[in-house]
Amino acid sequence: MNRAAPYLGPMVSTTGYRDLIEEAGDMARFTGRFFREVLRPRYEWEELLRQAFINGYRSLPLVAVTAFIMGLVLTVQSRPTLERFGAESMLPAMVAISVVREIGPVITALICAGKIGSSMGAELGSMKVTEQIDAMEVSGTNPFKYLVVTRVVSTTLMVPVLVVLADAIAIWASYIGVNFKDTVSWPLFHQQVFDSLIFSDLLPAFFKSFFFGFAIGIVGCYKGFHTERGTEGVGRASHSAVVVASLMIFMLDLVAVQITDILGLN
Amino acid sequence: MEHATESRTDIAVEQEEVVVRIRGLCKAFGSHEVLRGFDLDLLRGENLMVLGKSGSGKSVLIKCIIGLLRPDAGHIDVLGQDMLALRHDALDRMRMRIGFLFQSNALYDSMTVRQNLEFPMRRHWSVMDANERKARIMKALEDVGLAHTADLMPSELSGGMAKRVGLARTLIMRPEIVLYDEPTTGLDPITGREIVELILQLQRQYNTSSILISHDLNVAKLAANRVVVLHEGRAHAQGTYDELLRAKDPVVRRFFMAL
Ligand SMILES: Nc1ncnc2c1ncn2[C@@H]1O[C@H](COP(=O)(O)OP(=O)(O)OP(=O)(O)O)[C@@H](O)[C@H]1O
Ligand SMILES: [Mg+2]
Repeated sequence: MNRAAPYLGPMVSTTGYRDLIEEAGDMARFTGRFFREVLRPRYEWEELLRQAFINGYRSLPLVAVTAFIMGLVLTVQSRPTLERFGAESMLPAMVAISVVREIGPVITALICAGKIGSSMGAELGSMKVTEQIDAMEVSGTNPFKYLVVTRVVSTTLMVPVLVVLADAIAIWASYIGVNFKDTVSWPLFHQQVFDSLIFSDLLPAFFKSFFFGFAIGIVGCYKGFHTERGTEGVGRASHSAVVVASLMIFMLDLVAVQITDILGLN
Repeated sequence: MEHATESRTDIAVEQEEVVVRIRGLCKAFGSHEVLRGFDLDLLRGENLMVLGKSGSGKSVLIKCIIGLLRPDAGHIDVLGQDMLALRHDALDRMRMRIGFLFQSNALYDSMTVRQNLEFPMRRHWSVMDANERKARIMKALEDVGLAHTADLMPSELSGGMAKRVGLARTLIMRPEIVLYDEPTTGLDPITGREIVELILQLQRQYNTSSILISHDLNVAKLAANRVVVLHEGRAHAQGTYDELLRAKDPVVRRFFMAL
């Protein structure tokens, strides 16, 4: 690692490529360790539940508000274009499809990357620099299991749940948006939405949100666990956890769209 | 210094059983060789102090013993087991027989004092019932004179109090061997002395063997049965405090010059 690299770390440093590859290798090793440890017994159920509560339930208000606004704005802004083609009756379907397939998962994941990723980076980072992680290790608790495995499993499971809730809230907000100008009853709206959505809209989107959750957890924990250089390092860990997790989300999204394309699920 | 002499002779080394045996320990960070063939024997019931100046590798040494750092070469036997060959659960079980007081205390700052003390007992929850755990926590806090702080957060403690809580957490599993990393650094001389006296008292009470790391000669005077001087990565000299006080060796002399 180039210790003098600016705080965006591998992304923009001058010796960028080597750092980037080194860091990717480290992260791959870290991920490998996760898979080895996640199955080995002595499961930290209590801590897992606590993390699921923190990462899932506590993120809900932020995700809900964003999803509501997203659904509403998308509806209001799409209307003029659809009207121009005389297709305003397609509005619910269009919003539903774009929310469920793309916007819901990606926006929710990005919010989680910002909220959960940064707090994980900062929390584990400060535990690392104040030797709290070492203290766990010497007291006979495997800190990787206790801190990393529980956090990664919790985000992997909770982000998809948040995505589903965000989708539902966005669609409900869209119903309100549609009714700004039209009057569409909820049953009719409901029917239009669900007629337009097919299984292959839901499944890949749901599936990829697991990967988003996993990426957020792994990146946040990796950055926290590898914090160096005191409190300055903690800020850097928190910051780069968000940057790297957000980038990973977009890259995974890109991969996911290719895969669904190849599998003919589009 | 009446008390000091008394403390030292009090903890007589019971048998000649070696509980920690270190041979040829080497550890380098890049090209920086910190330990270069360090040897040490800790006897049961003994208070061994490792004296060395800042940056000489004292913390590195005890982190190697507990397995936080992996040495490049050498052997570490603790209670008859080869520490470097232990893995996973076996290593964790071994670590529960060893206490470690961090230089920075390393209290979990998201937990209360009570939860901090509870943490090392997690692995024994199946065999210890809630009342027993509670009693043990209160006893540990009473031992260090802080029974009233159970529900405070670490950020609400003073440096000396945090050190006492750290001490209570280190000793709560009743370890056979305790490694103290600079127990008095950063404390005023009076508090530092109180901590050393507390360490000695708890040591007698629970009959532990310990390695004390410090550059503080008062610790050596008050607490150590034997002092090892760590210099340039090796055990440069050893003896009792009084022997070293009289030593002619220039490296050893430099430590005592300030007195
Ligand atoms: N993780 C590490 N990476 C690189 N170098 C390290 C690391 N840990 C320790 N060192 C180096 O090893 C040397 C010894 O460090 P150590 O912390 O053991 O000193 P010390 O004797 O405990 O000093 P002090 O009395 O100030 O605590 C130092 O020069 C330090 O730079
Ligand atoms: Mg040190």
